[in-house]
Amino acid sequence: MTGFELLVPASVEEAVAALRAGAADPPAVIAGGTDLLLDIDDGRVDPRRVLSLRRLPWRSLDWTDGALTVGSTLPLRSLEDDPEVRRRLPGLWQAVHAVGSVALRHRATLGGNLGRAAPASDLVPMLLALDAEVDLVGPRGDRRLSVDAFVRASRRTALLPDELIRSVRIPESRPSAYLWQRVRPANDISQIAVGVAFSPRERRWSVAVGGMPPRPALLAEVAHDLGDATPDDGVLRAAAVRASRAVSITSDQRASEEYRRRLVATLLLRAVRAVPLDGEGRP
Amino acid sequence: MTPPPGPLRVNGRPADLTGMPDSERLLDTLRWRLALKGTKEGCRTGDCGACTVLVDGRSTLSCLTLTREVDGSDVTTIDGAADDAEIARVSRAFAAAGALQCGYCTPGFVVALAGLLKERGSSAPVEELLDGLQGNLCRCTGYAAIVRGVALARAEAP
Amino acid sequence: MSVAARSDLEVKLAGRAEYGADLELPGMLWGALVPSPVAHGKIRHVDLGGARALPGVVAVGADDLATLLPRGQGDAERPIFPADEVAYRNQPLAAVAAPTLAEARRAAAAVRVDIEPLPALVDLESEFPDWPGPDAARSPHIITHVHARHGDLEEAFRTADHVVEETYRTSSVHHVALEPHACVASVVGDRWTVRTTTQTPFGIREDLSLLLGVPEASVVVEGTWVGGGFGGKGASLLEPYALLLSRAAGRPVRLALDYRQEFELGRTTLPAVIRLATAVKAGRIVGRRVRLLLDTGSSLPGRDWSTGYSIGFLLGPYTTAAFEVEGYGVRTNKPAFGPHRAPFAPQCAFAVESHLGEVARVAGIDPVRFRADHLWRDGDTTPMGQAVGPFGLGAALAAATAVADRWRAEAPADHGVGIGLGFWSTGTGAGGEARLVLTPTELRVEQGEREIGSGSVQRGLVAVAERALGLPPERIRVDYLSTADAPFDSGVFGSRTVGALGRAVVEAATALRADLAARSGVAARDVSLAVEAGEIVCRSPNGRRTVRSLLTAEEASRGIVASGRHFAKSNTIDERRVVAGSFYPFTDFTGAAHVAEVSVDRETGAVRVERYAAFQDIGTVVDPATARGQVEGGIAMGLGIALTEEALWSDDGRLLNPHLLDYRIPTLGEVPAPEVTFVEGFPGAGPFGAKGLGEPPIIPVPATVAAAVRDACGAHVTELPLSAERVARTLKLL
Repeated sequence: MTGFELLVPASVEEAVAALRAGAADPPAVIAGGTDLLLDIDDGRVDPRRVLSLRRLPWRSLDWTDGALTVGSTLPLRSLEDDPEVRRRLPGLWQAVHAVGSVALRHRATLGGNLGRAAPASDLVPMLLALDAEVDLVGPRGDRRLSVDAFVRASRRTALLPDELIRSVRIPESRPSAYLWQRVRPANDISQIAVGVAFSPRERRWSVAVGGMPPRPALLAEVAHDLGDATPDDGVLRAAAVRASRAVSITSDQRASEEYRRRLVATLLLRAVRAVPLDGEGRP
Repeated sequence: MTPPPGPLRVNGRPADLTGMPDSERLLDTLRWRLALKGTKEGCRTGDCGACTVLVDGRSTLSCLTLTREVDGSDVTTIDGAADDAEIARVSRAFAAAGALQCGYCTPGFVVALAGLLKERGSSAPVEELLDGLQGNLCRCTGYAAIVRGVALARAEAP
Repeated sequence: MSVAARSDLEVKLAGRAEYGADLELPGMLWGALVPSPVAHGKIRHVDLGGARALPGVVAVGADDLATLLPRGQGDAERPIFPADEVAYRNQPLAAVAAPTLAEARRAAAAVRVDIEPLPALVDLESEFPDWPGPDAARSPHIITHVHARHGDLEEAFRTADHVVEETYRTSSVHHVALEPHACVASVVGDRWTVRTTTQTPFGIREDLSLLLGVPEASVVVEGTWVGGGFGGKGASLLEPYALLLSRAAGRPVRLALDYRQEFELGRTTLPAVIRLATAVKAGRIVGRRVRLLLDTGSSLPGRDWSTGYSIGFLLGPYTTAAFEVEGYGVRTNKPAFGPHRAPFAPQCAFAVESHLGEVARVAGIDPVRFRADHLWRDGDTTPMGQAVGPFGLGAALAAATAVADRWRAEAPADHGVGIGLGFWSTGTGAGGEARLVLTPTELRVEQGEREIGSGSVQRGLVAVAERALGLPPERIRVDYLSTADAPFDSGVFGSRTVGALGRAVVEAATALRADLAARSGVAARDVSLAVEAGEIVCRSPNGRRTVRSLLTAEEASRGIVASGRHFAKSNTIDERRVVAGSFYPFTDFTGAAHVAEVSVDRETGAVRVERYAAFQDIGTVVDPATARGQVEGGIAMGLGIALTEEALWSDDGRLLNPHLLDYRIPTLGEVPAPEVTFVEGFPGAGPFGAKGLGEPPIIPVPATVAAAVRDACGAHVTELPLSAERVARTLKLL
């Protein structure tokens, strides 16, 4: 590491201008820094300049018309502490709670987690299952992408070098669950994680799997198989088997491919069962 | 437009950061610039919690925090134990419970628990406090004495 | 019995305890090591020019040893920097120092290293997939061969009712002391001084003297508070490099490992393959064959202590009519095997206990009773022909069995309960001396160990002195002296502090009492010490006198000094049973019986430890709180070995998980608060019959967890750790 200059713009316009000005050698963007600084220490990146978002008015959390908008620099701990998040989006709460330690969550942010696109992110799979969207700002104006379109691969996103993540939007409250397995339950990276959610408005399930490189995946067909209510046991088991076959998985030092496939099935089964719907499929 | 942050205060006093590089970590600022060695350097990857300090009352991994990013904040470390009622209370509880052996993880544990008690209050279920300490590793005690210390600290909080 | 708190709590809780990692001297430089990029190779050239061209940088390498060392070289077999061949990845090839750490790292990166890579041996089974044949002795990879036998083994196996043969595999585990290695060296004239975080100041002094070719009298080692040792801080590691850098720079040099290097350079327990065969006739073990293939890392031939030491744990603590035990130490391209809390004994206990459980199952005998029937007892001799002596393991097992029966009756269906045993031998090490200094107001214990966390020095020696002299603990202080001022002691390892240095304190107390008695004109047994009106007084039938009034003029400034020493008496093995190599003679047996209740997820194989109880043979409890802390800590460390800890290497010798995210020690959420019971009444050689306790509590843990997992779901796992995936595989879920 050779050291860097920290740019601390006082407004969104200043921030975007700073990104534009340095387009030839774009600065790294720091939100909480808990992932970027590790990469700098390990020599995976060596930026000359780092752009801080701390003075931007993005440490926000807003519920409007049933949709949740989370400012990109809101610490995860604040998201976790919001009682409405826990009540209306239980799966998101579980996923946030699964990230690192309390001290880490005091600095780590949703925007940072998405922007860094870590392959084993605990948040991305749940955001996928919640059909979350990312709001970006840049010199050509704002744009909105689904998380599915935003996260391209491990460490790769659709963010342009002169764009910033302003916020993440979750369109509706959803009964949901996030389950994971790790070698060590606390402070580890998930071998497999499964996020499931049920949309009361559209009466459909969504299913996402994480913990496997190169990126978490939405399993649309498996979700479709689950139907429009709480699936009966046979349907659920068939979907779980399908899910375990559907995903692209490799072996690494955390788990073998075959063990991961087994975990996909087991965790999917348990996650769907953990989502509380009444007999008619209403939350 | 938000106003620029004021100076960093450490244990109640403004810190002199003249000449500090922007890339400096809060851990190094505390230990080597301000000679506050109570905060310990363990893994430097955010996995052990030994470097935990409070930033505006919230537990924070000082190894993964740029000092410049917390300008204008109040940083509290174990070295300021005497001035922080919560840290002092947790320290007394840890002493009474014998909740340490080599002591290297201890500042991090004490500060992390003090932060949880500030955040949650002493009415927080003990399970929540213990869950909140899973980011702090201890290799000596097997955590048993620490768990006894947490219960004591919670019982003695106002 | 005292319930005093240890007196280092306050300084540690205030953040004022200075550890090695905190050391700083005015004008010091920061050091960094230049690592080998390959695990095995021939060194063509190490070019320090790029580093030396940077401002303020000092660099030292193999070529500089001749000029920097007073005699031109140190230990020829162990040069500080290799000149010809690299033995493991990241082996230091040179060292640099600069005004800041960042500059030192840049300088280290500027060193050009040219090495011709050679094939590396990393996985010992890639070279020896089966038990090495008769040609093994000629293999360049085998550096140790130990072999012993007794009785007619062939006959035993031929006529047995049951023969069970199994293979076990164990993993490499790290110490993970939270404080990384760190030291500050300062060479002035011919005095080589190093302040360092160490378990063994005198051991380091001896080592440095050999490595640097400097007389011991010229080397001063001064310890600090130690942020965890566990065996990892028991030999020199950074000190020679730091001293060389200081010598070259003419200034103090700080050298510390970052946590990645802590994993990459640490010398610790390495993988092993254990083959066990047992013959049973009429419910009795009539023959045992034990074969050990141990990865000794880059240990040098003739210097591997680990094979002959470890293999003894595979024979005990059970009797057998006939046995054969054979082990090979295999040199691989990793850092050398090094001590890790009860080196390799937890892994051996895992294999032995799991195997005898399987033998009992095949023979149709209750596994607990089967083990109880064969346990060593006082009066027995071990297979290697050693006298057992007072041994509380049988009593511990009886108590553990009662708890296990109760837990099993209460446990839900997906839970299982298991018992594991382990034994240990305390009283190791060359020995030590302690000095007591009695002043008018306090008693000081002057000694040369350092407190590494267990409390054995800071509290244990105080408790011993307290019991020996009757003074209250707040009047007793432990003084930590450098090797220049302390009486010799071999250091904190082998669970020996209370047992050995504590005995020296008792000897010193006896001498002190005799001295006071002589001054008071009475017999030693009639003297007692007490505190009255702030003064220490000496009571006797002739009245009471303050210590102040007993001091001679020469003693006025220092106090009354008394010394004591204790050198453990060595046990012997029956050499007629030894065929080859040397076996470690155990002394002063101790042991523990543990009980675990676990739940096993039948779909994922995930194991969770729900309850845990330990029954620990201790001889005599010297300090209850310290003793309890050792057992609680040992159990947690053992649970890591059992469930999650495992160093992984690539085929080319790169450590794949050199960080605390993927090398997973237990967190607070994975360790249940254990029930701890001490079994007294089987006295050891320590003061008041005490036995060492630093290591014994870790030994039975993996065995105990494995037994509980088997009870819960039937999975007989023969490989450590018992990860969820491994349990799932054993259950044929995959």
